[in-house]
Amino acid sequence: MNALLNWLDSRTGYKHLIQEALYEPIPGGARWRYVWGSTLSFVFMTQVITGFFLWSAYSPSTQSAWESVNYIQNEMAFGWLVRGIHHFAAQAMMILLALHFFQVIIDGAYKAPREVNFWLGLVLLQIVLGLSLTGYLLPWDQKGYYATQVATNIAGVTPVIGSQVQQIAQGGSTYGHQTLTRFFALHAGVLPTLLVAFLALHIAVFRRHGIKCPDQHLSKPQGMFWPDQILKDAIACLAVLATILYFVVTKGAELSSPADPAEAYSAPRPEWYFLFLFRFLKFEEIDKLGLAFGAIYIPGLVFTIIALMPFIGKWKLGHRFNVAFSLGLLLGASYLTVLALREDAADPDYVAAVKEAHRDSVRAVVLVRRDGGAPPEGALSLLKSDPLTQGPRLFARHCSSCHRYDGHDGTGRMIVITKGEGEHKTTEPVPPQAPDLGKFGTRDWATDVLTNYHDVFAPLKNLTLDEKNIGERFLAGDMAKWVTDNKAALTDPANADDLKALAEFLVQESGRKDQGSIDVLLSSAGKELFSSGKLKNGALSSSCADCHDPGNGAPTLVGYGSEAWLKRFIQTPDHADFYGANNAMVPFVGKLSDRELQLLVDWMTGNYYRPDGAPVH
Amino acid sequence: MTHAAPGTASTSPPSPEPPRRNFLAEAASYVIGGIVGLVPVAAGLAFFADPILRKKATMRGQSEDGYLSVAKVSDLPKDGTPLRFSIIADKIDSWNLFKQQTVGTVYLRNVEGSVIAFNDVCPHLGCKIDYKSSNKSFFCPCHASAFKLDGSKSNPVPPRDMDALDVRVDPSGAIWVKYQNFKRGVEKQEVL
Repeated sequence: MNALLNWLDSRTGYKHLIQEALYEPIPGGARWRYVWGSTLSFVFMTQVITGFFLWSAYSPSTQSAWESVNYIQNEMAFGWLVRGIHHFAAQAMMILLALHFFQVIIDGAYKAPREVNFWLGLVLLQIVLGLSLTGYLLPWDQKGYYATQVATNIAGVTPVIGSQVQQIAQGGSTYGHQTLTRFFALHAGVLPTLLVAFLALHIAVFRRHGIKCPDQHLSKPQGMFWPDQILKDAIACLAVLATILYFVVTKGAELSSPADPAEAYSAPRPEWYFLFLFRFLKFEEIDKLGLAFGAIYIPGLVFTIIALMPFIGKWKLGHRFNVAFSLGLLLGASYLTVLALREDAADPDYVAAVKEAHRDSVRAVVLVRRDGGAPPEGALSLLKSDPLTQGPRLFARHCSSCHRYDGHDGTGRMIVITKGEGEHKTTEPVPPQAPDLGKFGTRDWATDVLTNYHDVFAPLKNLTLDEKNIGERFLAGDMAKWVTDNKAALTDPANADDLKALAEFLVQESGRKDQGSIDVLLSSAGKELFSSGKLKNGALSSSCADCHDPGNGAPTLVGYGSEAWLKRFIQTPDHADFYGANNAMVPFVGKLSDRELQLLVDWMTGNYYRPDGAPVH
Repeated sequence: MTHAAPGTASTSPPSPEPPRRNFLAEAASYVIGGIVGLVPVAAGLAFFADPILRKKATMRGQSEDGYLSVAKVSDLPKDGTPLRFSIIADKIDSWNLFKQQTVGTVYLRNVEGSVIAFNDVCPHLGCKIDYKSSNKSFFCPCHASAFKLDGSKSNPVPPRDMDALDVRVDPSGAIWVKYQNFKRGVEKQEVL
């Protein structure tokens, strides 16, 4: 064995190389604060390894990027692990870069003769930022799509060359296949190659000058890179890896719903490490000065000052200025980050948008799994034709100006109005003008209308003055009077079964499949009662059938709450089969396309896919 | 005081290297270094092994026991001449589902009223077998595998006979085939 190694050494000189690499003396001994450079190299290697494996399963096109990433994340063996490591290691790299930077600044390791290496480090920092930016878009999900739009639009306002840079980066004037192929080439080819080249230079120059040991430690005994410092480095790498794995297991890499250029993503935010810049650009004073000022000139100026630090450090108080400036940046960025997070947490619209985005992302995965794969045109088309995804949006757009759905607009947003200016700004809920339809078509709904009619239709009181009389038709109409007359009888405990029977009958009429099985005996008793009006104890003042007869100006209850009934009702509530002349609702005939109406009605009648065992909506 | 300028370390008398060995530190470095290096590699390799770790369907749309409707008995010539038919099913390819695609082709023959089916993929190395009407036999254009009309091999090139497929004819005269592919290049028939 030894002979073989000697033979190899005489041909390659590897022993000398290893000695060079390992037996690097460390003045003042090995220290924990020197580990950051090594942890960065380790995380970069991890990114290269996991990146190559992800590459083996990723497909960069607008119809397959999200689909292949979803396949990696949710179907392939250990895909969640490899993508998770890649995802969180990228974030760890940002933190480690900051730690490495502060260690260099505080120890004065940027000063002569290490200026060039400091600049090489700044180049590496830029490359890593470029890797984060390009990598963020690759899953082609809503979050990455809209966050990257902001970045390329910022590039677009660069003076003189802006729009050319933007078009070259995007591969055209808008996002498409070529945006992905280009970003992928940058992310997996150009930038890593540059990073390796600059990292090699960075380490070579670092070895030339050695560790910068603070003066007060120079008297301590000298250490060796191997194994003194390497052990510390390895332990630090282990801690970094453990942290990354902790997040992979507990949180998992996020994948929001497929990118949809037509659907605004209401919660666009960059990754947390760019959040400070995002918040900075939101200041009105900054905004007034123009996007190029806040997004290009200011960061450019800050970066120039950092690059000049080796020269500034030569002045008497220069080093202190550099340390103070760096800490000031850190504090400022931290403040802006916390500010952005707190503002978002306090913004109900943002919180609702995040929830909606989360629902969409979960739903997209469910729908792809239902079909056993995404259609060739992409998984987005599944969301576009899914009642559970589109119904709430249609409700919010077309119905929520009068109705509510469980108190909100269908998508989870409250309907509020902002009053006052500046400090006195307050938001108040907008009173609904029509019933809350969250429970429409359920047994509870039927029971409520029969016994709490005035509460269900109370929002009609909020109709504007000249429509007041329309509301009165309902609140003081025949049905209102009927409920007033019969409420006592219907809520009489002796007639509890009768009330249930009526509700059961109405739910059976809807033919809905999401309301559990129908108690046939109960519903036939309900049907009987519907036309006879006879209760166990007493009788109704008039039977349901007396008024609710097709063409009678009271909503027909034949097929009540069913898909066909609801479609017709929404289109023509003023038909004599429904409210006739008493109608107060906008007829939607011609205002909704057939497809939209179908999606809305399917959602409201619970007719959409549910994975086995999932709770009924 | 000189900062750690070039050569600072070597101003002290060159120490005989390695200076002192700390076996515990060296061993710990090997172990911990090994762990942090191996975890990403191991995760990646396990991920790359996905095709052998996970069984996945390649098509959808068959009957419960795997049969697909292919043709009608009346479509077949009564003299037993083989005809090639497409197998239509939903094709599953990794993350995509392609509806109603040709997932393969088969030869069907009507031999005195009973239907037999062959997978038209050559058991030798997977080319598509042609039917030669001139000498009423099957012939593979790649490496000249030849088969008789009953699917049995007629030269030593292929390792086995053509792959016969299970067939079922329902009362309406529709032919249902259990479409399967088999490992090529081996003597024993082995479902892929």
